[in-house]
Amino acid sequence: MATELAQGRQPAPNAADLGGHHQRRWVLVFAVLALAVYLFYRFLLPNLPDSTQTTFQGWLPLLSVNEALVWVIAAVGLNIVVGYAGLLDLGFVAFWAIGGYTAGWIMSSFFYQVKNGFSIFSTASGQPGIHLNWWLVLLVAGLFCAFCGIIIGAPTLRLKSDYLALVTLGFGEIIPQVFKNGESVFGFNLTNGVKGIAPLDEITVVPGGKSLGPFDLETKYLLFVGIAAFCVFVSLRIREGRLGRAWLAIREDELAASMMGVPLMRSKLAAYAVGAFMGGLAGVVYAVHVNSVFSDQFSFSISIILLAMVVLGGMGNVWGVIVGALLLAWFNSTGLPQFGDWFNGQFNTEVNFPSYNFLIFGSLLVLMMLFRREGFFPETRTRQVLQEPERTGLESVGADLEGVTS
Amino acid sequence: MTDTSVAGASAGARGAGDALTATGVTVRFGGLIAVRDVSFSIPQGGIVSLIGPNGAGKTTFFNVLTGLYKPHKGRVVLGDTDVTGRSPHTIASMGMARTFQNIRLFGLMTATENVMVAMHSHMRSGLLGTIFRMPGQRHEEHASREFAHELLDFVGIGGTADQYARNLSYGDQRRLEVARALALKPSVLLLDEPTAGMNPQESARFVDFVHRVRDEKQVSVLLIEHDMSVVMRVSERITVLDQGEKIAEGGPDEIRSNPRVVEAYLGRTGTEGSAR
Amino acid sequence: MATTLVESAEDRPARLRRERVEPALGLALLAGLGVWLVVNLLHAPTQFANVALAGLRTGAIYALIALGYTLVYGIIELINFAHGDLFMLGSVFSSIILVNWFGAGTNTALDWAKMIVVLLLVMALCAGINIIVERFAYRRLRRAPKLAPLITAVGVSFIFQWFGQKLNGSAQKNWPKVIPEGGIRFGSIQLDYSTIVVLLVTIPLLLVLTGIVQRTRQGKAMRATAQDQDAARLMGINVDRTIAFTFALGGAMAGAAGLLYLETYGTTRYDAGFQLGLIAFTAAVLGGIGNLTGAVTGGVLIGLIQGFNDGLPYGFGQKWSQSVVFALLILLMVFKPEGILGKPSVEKV
Repeated sequence: MATELAQGRQPAPNAADLGGHHQRRWVLVFAVLALAVYLFYRFLLPNLPDSTQTTFQGWLPLLSVNEALVWVIAAVGLNIVVGYAGLLDLGFVAFWAIGGYTAGWIMSSFFYQVKNGFSIFSTASGQPGIHLNWWLVLLVAGLFCAFCGIIIGAPTLRLKSDYLALVTLGFGEIIPQVFKNGESVFGFNLTNGVKGIAPLDEITVVPGGKSLGPFDLETKYLLFVGIAAFCVFVSLRIREGRLGRAWLAIREDELAASMMGVPLMRSKLAAYAVGAFMGGLAGVVYAVHVNSVFSDQFSFSISIILLAMVVLGGMGNVWGVIVGALLLAWFNSTGLPQFGDWFNGQFNTEVNFPSYNFLIFGSLLVLMMLFRREGFFPETRTRQVLQEPERTGLESVGADLEGVTS
Repeated sequence: MTDTSVAGASAGARGAGDALTATGVTVRFGGLIAVRDVSFSIPQGGIVSLIGPNGAGKTTFFNVLTGLYKPHKGRVVLGDTDVTGRSPHTIASMGMARTFQNIRLFGLMTATENVMVAMHSHMRSGLLGTIFRMPGQRHEEHASREFAHELLDFVGIGGTADQYARNLSYGDQRRLEVARALALKPSVLLLDEPTAGMNPQESARFVDFVHRVRDEKQVSVLLIEHDMSVVMRVSERITVLDQGEKIAEGGPDEIRSNPRVVEAYLGRTGTEGSAR
Repeated sequence: MATTLVESAEDRPARLRRERVEPALGLALLAGLGVWLVVNLLHAPTQFANVALAGLRTGAIYALIALGYTLVYGIIELINFAHGDLFMLGSVFSSIILVNWFGAGTNTALDWAKMIVVLLLVMALCAGINIIVERFAYRRLRRAPKLAPLITAVGVSFIFQWFGQKLNGSAQKNWPKVIPEGGIRFGSIQLDYSTIVVLLVTIPLLLVLTGIVQRTRQGKAMRATAQDQDAARLMGINVDRTIAFTFALGGAMAGAAGLLYLETYGTTRYDAGFQLGLIAFTAAVLGGIGNLTGAVTGGVLIGLIQGFNDGLPYGFGQKWSQSVVFALLILLMVFKPEGILGKPSVEKV
């Protein structure tokens, strides 16, 4: 039996190669898909018969695709925190909010106090307020969120996972509340309270280029895809380097990691900061997408839906997370309501389908944890290891003996 | 208390050039004193063992050395530097590495990756360098991977470089732990019950292995061991703990014939030590 | 123990910060709190008293919910995210059964009798729900990494909220109360009837709970399982049943709190559980998680703090009420995770 065990154990294909091969395949698939979608909506759909167009507008409008991309950006960010580093963050919406309001502050006429306007490559130069070019806004928002992430993380990341979850939840509640009540912070109107900030400046592809209006969905789509791709790129690259290894080690066995020279706090903070950066990007992109920032856009359920995306996709596997994010976002914004309309139409019922989304998301989380904890697209390493039968130490010693007679 | 003939290790005295010196270490858990006023040193390039019945405080003492516990009293000096109370990762990066009694590998990482994790503190690449694969970072990654492979070859598991640690055989996992520890380029290597689960042939090979590690990697080695044959064969000096106190120290022959040691192992009719 | 193992030995500067600065900060905070209270007391004594009484009432309700958190955490080290929503379901069930089915809503002897029946009914109902959830959602994950049951609990929370939304709608619902408005007056200080009722229900429940935990076999089994599950199992304790029993107790407390909430405020909201749940959890942590007396102490304290913040002239006001409590939670977790009545513990490796 021991010999069989020894023979049955095949060396895993070269891990580095396997990783590279897999990555390249996914990159290709998504690049082709992204391009195909663009070409479809830009050139093909307008020329298709009206009935087809209506169906698509109902089931998969480009608006919905764009919104799903925002969720992808945020989910990739949360994946770094939860999936890579294993830190349960239940308040990720805080960074989404901070990113959004940053856009509201420096990409609109909100700060009318700046009478002559302070603008950098903006479409709204000359008007009062702070108007930075949106690429600059992305960078500023990202960095600001990373900074906030470090501030939040520094005292809290040393907590045990359940306590950390709750503290992040607390922050996820406090920060949107601060924005909601921010109409009068020591007399100063910081956030316009529930009235929010709208509209924002129009964005351009390149500084000084043509500004994109509310119907330039195709171009915005390309921009959003580009930002999402950037986040994925950064995510993969960091994963390959020593910080990524540190995160993996921390996720597996924090104690052993620290005894091997991995600085726990610094590594966790880095995960938090990078994740927060992407959350900030998502916030800006969303603000641009809906051309506004309102405090009620940011609720606890966003943090949970993001978590569901990461869990569903396969914690740590950024490609799975993308699929999970696209699916769930579409389902939440378009799929469920559309299905509801169709169903009610077919069977003459009046079921309010969108109201079931809490049930669906909640059940999804529960069922995933019970039956498929590793997600639908588990990381390669999880899959590889799970294929081997679990061996006890004793069995292993036996297997080892077979080779000792040399 | 039997004194030792090798590098005066009695309380307070620090032999010149000792790799590691612990003086007057006391560890308390609430009201329980797990380690009481233990002084101990590892001579440069020496192989020493720490033995004692279960509950004697050996692993607790280990944990103090590596920074997991803060001693209530006492100091730990690694080479020339006082590392008492420093965090584990700092002490590890300063050159004190260890293996674990219950293997604690990163199961979902390959053997190479396990070893490379331990090189974290010796690498310099920053975030930007990693993201954009700057030449400096690429070079460092490549060199680290090479070094990891070298270490894997050194411990004899070069063929498993790309296998996941969880899939390795027990013996290979033990070796991987050593390779990983060696990646820290340590001056002191602590091995916690390294021969647990090994058969006599393996243990014999292990004794040679420890000598090889000491000779070729220039580390000083401290073992916690229960297998007396290994202890007697590999140690240049043995320190015996019982119920948190040092009760004997000396060469293998001295310890073997020390009545207090024998008594500690055979147990008394009263209560045994409970701290570990 | 809230902090990771590795924290037990930190770099000297970090340790210095923790051992000197943090207690100093904590003391400063407490002193500031004390000053603030005294100032308010002197400035408006009757308002202070009334606010304190109202805070006591809320605090008692928080205490009941907090007990559920602490019981479950004590036995399986799980923060039951869905517990607050169970409380919400308790209030919703109470409203439907008491007002819609039994038609009770006025201060008559019959309605009071109905209310008592509903109290017991809701407690049983919530206990039952908790048992079912434990059996099907949490039990399998007992040995799984901590992330899994946490995520599951979040999922269950969502499911409860959906259910509450289905029963109660998306908006707040107002209900007639059996407990009359007003109360007993002592000068310009009023002891609300609702406060009296809340205390009359809460205190006996607490006594019964304490009795169960301290004096019965089941209680002993609970305490044993909380200390060491495997050892308890070896001693012949049916661990599964004990854990189920614990969940049932916690659920019953939440149910009672739900009814009391309905009768005190006369409203139900599908999302009340989330907010109050977090506040109650803060109370449990404040008192020392796993400690029953602590849960009660914490509950009362938080109720008072929130009351003071909302009602006193020198408070932040109700808008910031939740933020204040959450900020308190964060500060607690960071600086003193063992709470007031807990002991800091070092885990041995």
